[in-house]
Amino acid sequence: MGLRDRGPRTPRVAVDTGVQLVTAWHLVGVAAGIVSMLLASRSGDDALPAVIKLFMQVFSIAVTVAHLAAAYGTFRRMRRARTVSLVTNYLLFVVSGSALLHQLGAFTGIGKFGTGLNKAFLPFMVIVVGLLWVLVAGQLLSKNPLAAGPNGLRRAGWGLAALASVWFVIAADPSGMLSMIGDRITQPLTLGTLAVALCSGAATRFMWQRRVAVRFGTSAAEEQTLSGLAFLSPNLIGFTFFFAGPLLFSLVVSFFEWKTTGTGRSFVGIDNYVRALSLDISSSDVANAGNEVLKPGYQVLMHLDWFGQNWVLGARDVEFWISLRNIAIFLVLAVPASVLPALVLSSILASRLPGMKVFRAIYFIPSVAGVIGVAIIWGQLFQSTVGWINYLILRAGEILPFVDPPAEGHPWVSSNSTALLSMVVVFAWMNFGFNTVLYLAGHQSIPKELYEAADIDGANVWQVFRRITVPQLRNTTFYVLITTSILALQLFDIVWILSTPEPGGPNNATTTPVLALYEEAFQGNNQGYASALAWVLFLIIFGFTFAQFRQQKDGATSGGVS
Amino acid sequence: MSVRRKGPKATAIRVATYVLLVCVAVVVVFPFAVAVTTAFKRNTDIFTYPPSLVPKKEATIPAADVGLEGDPVPVYSFPDRDDRPGQWALVDGDASLAEFRPLDDLERVIVLDVKAGEKTGETISIDGEEEDVYLVDDGGAQVEAYRSRLTSGGLFVSVDDPSTSVLDLVNFATPAREFGPRFSNFTEVLAEKDPETNGKGVGRSLTNTVLVTILVVLGQIITSILGGYAFARVQFKGRSTIFLMYLGSVMIPFVVLIIPLFQLMLQVNWRDNLVALIIPFAFTAYGTFLMRQFFLGIPAEIEEAALLDGASRSTILWKVMVPLARPAIATLATFGFLYAWNSFFWPLVIINSGNPDNAVLSLTLSTLGGRSSTDTNLVFAGTVLAMTPPILVFLFAQRYFVENSASSGLK
Amino acid sequence: MAAVTFNNISKRYKDGPKAVDDLNLEIADGEFMVLVGPSGCGKSTALRMIAGLEEISDGELRIGERVVNEVPPGDRDIAMVFQNYALYPHMTVRQNIGFALEVAKVRKDEINRRVEDAAEMLGLTEYLDRLPKALSGGQRQRVAMGRAIVRSPQVFLMDEPLSNLDAKLRVQMRSDIIQLQARLGTTMVYVTHDQVEAMTMGHRVAVMRKGVLQQVAPPQELYLRPANLFVAAFIGSPAMNLITADVTIEGDDVFVSFGGHRLRISAKALDRYPGLRERNGTKVIFGLRPEHFAMEEDLEVGDDQVLTVRCDLAEAMGAEVHIHAVVDVPPPAVDGAPIAAEDDPEALVAGTKVIARVDGIHTIAMGQDVRLAVKTHLTHFFDPASGAPLR
Repeated sequence: MGLRDRGPRTPRVAVDTGVQLVTAWHLVGVAAGIVSMLLASRSGDDALPAVIKLFMQVFSIAVTVAHLAAAYGTFRRMRRARTVSLVTNYLLFVVSGSALLHQLGAFTGIGKFGTGLNKAFLPFMVIVVGLLWVLVAGQLLSKNPLAAGPNGLRRAGWGLAALASVWFVIAADPSGMLSMIGDRITQPLTLGTLAVALCSGAATRFMWQRRVAVRFGTSAAEEQTLSGLAFLSPNLIGFTFFFAGPLLFSLVVSFFEWKTTGTGRSFVGIDNYVRALSLDISSSDVANAGNEVLKPGYQVLMHLDWFGQNWVLGARDVEFWISLRNIAIFLVLAVPASVLPALVLSSILASRLPGMKVFRAIYFIPSVAGVIGVAIIWGQLFQSTVGWINYLILRAGEILPFVDPPAEGHPWVSSNSTALLSMVVVFAWMNFGFNTVLYLAGHQSIPKELYEAADIDGANVWQVFRRITVPQLRNTTFYVLITTSILALQLFDIVWILSTPEPGGPNNATTTPVLALYEEAFQGNNQGYASALAWVLFLIIFGFTFAQFRQQKDGATSGGVS
Repeated sequence: MSVRRKGPKATAIRVATYVLLVCVAVVVVFPFAVAVTTAFKRNTDIFTYPPSLVPKKEATIPAADVGLEGDPVPVYSFPDRDDRPGQWALVDGDASLAEFRPLDDLERVIVLDVKAGEKTGETISIDGEEEDVYLVDDGGAQVEAYRSRLTSGGLFVSVDDPSTSVLDLVNFATPAREFGPRFSNFTEVLAEKDPETNGKGVGRSLTNTVLVTILVVLGQIITSILGGYAFARVQFKGRSTIFLMYLGSVMIPFVVLIIPLFQLMLQVNWRDNLVALIIPFAFTAYGTFLMRQFFLGIPAEIEEAALLDGASRSTILWKVMVPLARPAIATLATFGFLYAWNSFFWPLVIINSGNPDNAVLSLTLSTLGGRSSTDTNLVFAGTVLAMTPPILVFLFAQRYFVENSASSGLK
Repeated sequence: MAAVTFNNISKRYKDGPKAVDDLNLEIADGEFMVLVGPSGCGKSTALRMIAGLEEISDGELRIGERVVNEVPPGDRDIAMVFQNYALYPHMTVRQNIGFALEVAKVRKDEINRRVEDAAEMLGLTEYLDRLPKALSGGQRQRVAMGRAIVRSPQVFLMDEPLSNLDAKLRVQMRSDIIQLQARLGTTMVYVTHDQVEAMTMGHRVAVMRKGVLQQVAPPQELYLRPANLFVAAFIGSPAMNLITADVTIEGDDVFVSFGGHRLRISAKALDRYPGLRERNGTKVIFGLRPEHFAMEEDLEVGDDQVLTVRCDLAEAMGAEVHIHAVVDVPPPAVDGAPIAAEDDPEALVAGTKVIARVDGIHTIAMGQDVRLAVKTHLTHFFDPASGAPLR
């Protein structure tokens, strides 16, 4: 009495019939591919941009060739044909399925779903509670923690969620969405896409089967490759469309003058980069010379006084260079401010005294709270007349002789001198807790024996910190410094909310590269130039990443303490 | 660090340690305390000096306490005739009053009932007008005064001693303030956007954020499980190459992608639509690494046992590997939640028509709390609403979160 | 139930030596076959090839009549017990045992019935609703067995299933598995590195070394007629003493001499190793199991069959005493490496170590000279170059 007592289930479609159907389907695909090739190359349809047209042509040719190969191969039962057919059908299924959803408005209809959710938020929360109950009820309420959860309690959760779902559907009223889908699905193009999706899906499903693999003699390695790619495919498709493709496109666009709309796009070579990075320096007799001493198109970036000679430094994109200067200052201030406290605090938190976990959790909260909320709160704290910062400084001045509060409340974010400093404070406040946790992980790799040995040697707390903790945490420190720097280089949100009177203000005191890029791309509509800025920024960030990479490698070879 | 030594010196060090930790904790917690209390304040209450952590309202006492019926009676605070500060309940806001000015000090005002005072019969010329001189009661003493004005004002009763009453002009008195959180800040900020009701439309942003977050997290979990499993356990051609590409992708900052992604969204007509916040973010290289790492740690024999039991790869994945990977999935979900919930830059770029139906919380808050902000109390109510879920998620999922942020360096 | 046949099976890893080299082995239907050898000998690889967990580089593998080279593991109708049991940690004992049936879409009541039968057989009934982490090592081992037997497979595969148990439990489980296999009559392939397990459990034992099959035989035959030097050294505990010796033939008498000792070999040994006769004046490897010694007073032999050695160490085991001594010859080597060196670092000492098992009534002091009678009719002889027996 084996597993196979009941006998193999009779397959619905005999393998050979199925393969013949698939071959036929591929032939249809060849025909359709040729037609669409012709349609795409048909001149006169100026509604489509050339790029799209080219893409469609290439796509049609690829589809036709793939179908042809698959049809021939499956007809001859060639070993590789199953793989070719599977890949073709699967990709076609993905493409046509996405197109179908697009035509049905399923993607953009998500906003309508948002409306429904807004109307039916209460039943939605009940569903969430029910499902959470299903997840945790077993562990929480079971007497024997080692036994699996009691099924009755889980069923109650499922039941609750099911009831709430009904309520949800009634409250959300999906009739509008359904009728929209009903309207659209009857259009011929949509029906065609539906047919393609169904056929390619069915063909994929059929060819995937084990018995078909046996018939084609697919090797185990090939089978592995297929299933590996199948598992990876959702991820890989997303990776291609939303990462790799855009990345390439960004590089291309950075060599173009590129506007959001179709007009005004032209290839400009490396001009965008030249414009971003151009500097000009010229000496001048007067102390504060203007743009006229510089080459045409350059504006004054800063005045310098070297050895009694006045110099004027100019740039073509002054705002970008100012933002680079700002971010350099920010980096120098904000990185130590968010790393040093973390180093000290983590050394205390690693001591395993009671209550350390509580402090660790508290310190971590700012980094999860959301930067917009944090910036709004700090905006209120920095407020010049009734803000807490000024108030506390005033009170401190009453107690501490060395604090000298200004007579009037200091306008922290709207003063040229302190605007960037305010951003540093917020950044450090948000990130030191995260860094503390990174350091805590580093502490775990320090052998306890070192501390015990130091104890026996009679070292004091400071000596232990200075001579053991800090050197042992060298690699962690490097990692923390780099990650914090990378984060700081991309400063945007805090500035967007906090700086005044406009983002980057006052007088560009808080302009950052990302802000400059955002303004170029989305307010100035210079997307080509902004892409070039993005790549310049990327190179700067990459410098840090690369240093980190090198360090990790070195660390791996030279090794810490084992 | 070993702080387990004994003796007075060690104790001192330990005390100093805790003092330092508590100070830092105060620095961390204080801004949140300001946010929460401000969220319950009235707008006028925010811009008072000195700043305070207590939301206040104008004080009232029940009408019955002062022998009246009906609505609670407002309380004012001003010194009585003897210059002692006191709390006074306004029992009649529309009493007919007369202002008298003593002849010996014309700057002073004595407010009395309209019927008070006896005419002496004399008159006095003030600014060319003949005025009757009255003999009026001024704190027990009778003084000569003229009636400068007839007005309506308040009849106040001492809160401490309802038998003592005093008449005064209401606009001379400052209303007493007492602890009084304003809960309607939250309902107002959540209400549909409407200048008349002062609704701010955060409710819609909240549900949109919930929708986006849930779909992003679900998408990330599914794609990461599948991808992580493929990388960890399936030997396929090109695996190491693809994996290297994934590793490299982590080095690319998001700013590089933002312009082409924007262009892509324009092409597929996803601009100003929630879907633009969901689909591109349902894939994560970090999450894939996380799951891969976890799956690598599950003994190969368990999977082999399942293979021998006749399970297919997908059965193994969903019935054996995924239940075992619950801690990793919880970590992934937490990261995904925080990322999706708090993300701001991309929504700012892509949801740019100002249509509140498509906004998410971070975006709405940045508009509300930005430079031209009014209704600070409502802004803070919204901020508190937006911050609470991620903080709660962090506190509940701390175990997974703290352990893994260190190992994966996610942020 | 089915036979398992290896026809010229090889396993090659990328840029590595062959893990299994041209293996030919027939495991009969219903047989209990043990694969034994030191670690890295290819026994586990061979087992995993039956399971379908390792690809077969060359050759043909059959289960029953069917060639299974390309059949995925799930379709081979075999069950396997892993060294670490590989229980599904998140499933109860019931779910663990029933998983294969669930996957095969067997009806629920049928699954329950078969799981309960299996649990009953293994004494697991009261643990059915526990998770594996709530079980002891022995119980987990039995769950793994249950998972195998509930499917009534054609072949059981066991990969060192007892090595994670303590010594006492191991002995118990050993007999349980033997009885279970006898009762079910299912073909069993059992991998172990422990030669005691191999000897006590298998109908036949296949000894492997470095991917090559050395000998397949019933346990007693392995012991009595080892096919080569490796098998001789591997089977038996303590291991056979192997000494490089010079052979002298004087008429009908054969003498072996080594490190200043000289022994006369009984003519009976010559019947078993006729090839020895042609080795006059050459070196051979002379094998003598520890149990083939006795104290001189316990065994009457001629003076020329007594070995006098100095006792370096005497281990009193109760029933017997193990006398360790060293004879002054370099340890024998095959293929340049001392044989049995895989597990025996002692083999690196200057002389050749000799262990003798004598009756436990004797009290022997360290450093004492002992006179050991040798049952020379039971000795073995091997060619020092090839390791082949001089038959």
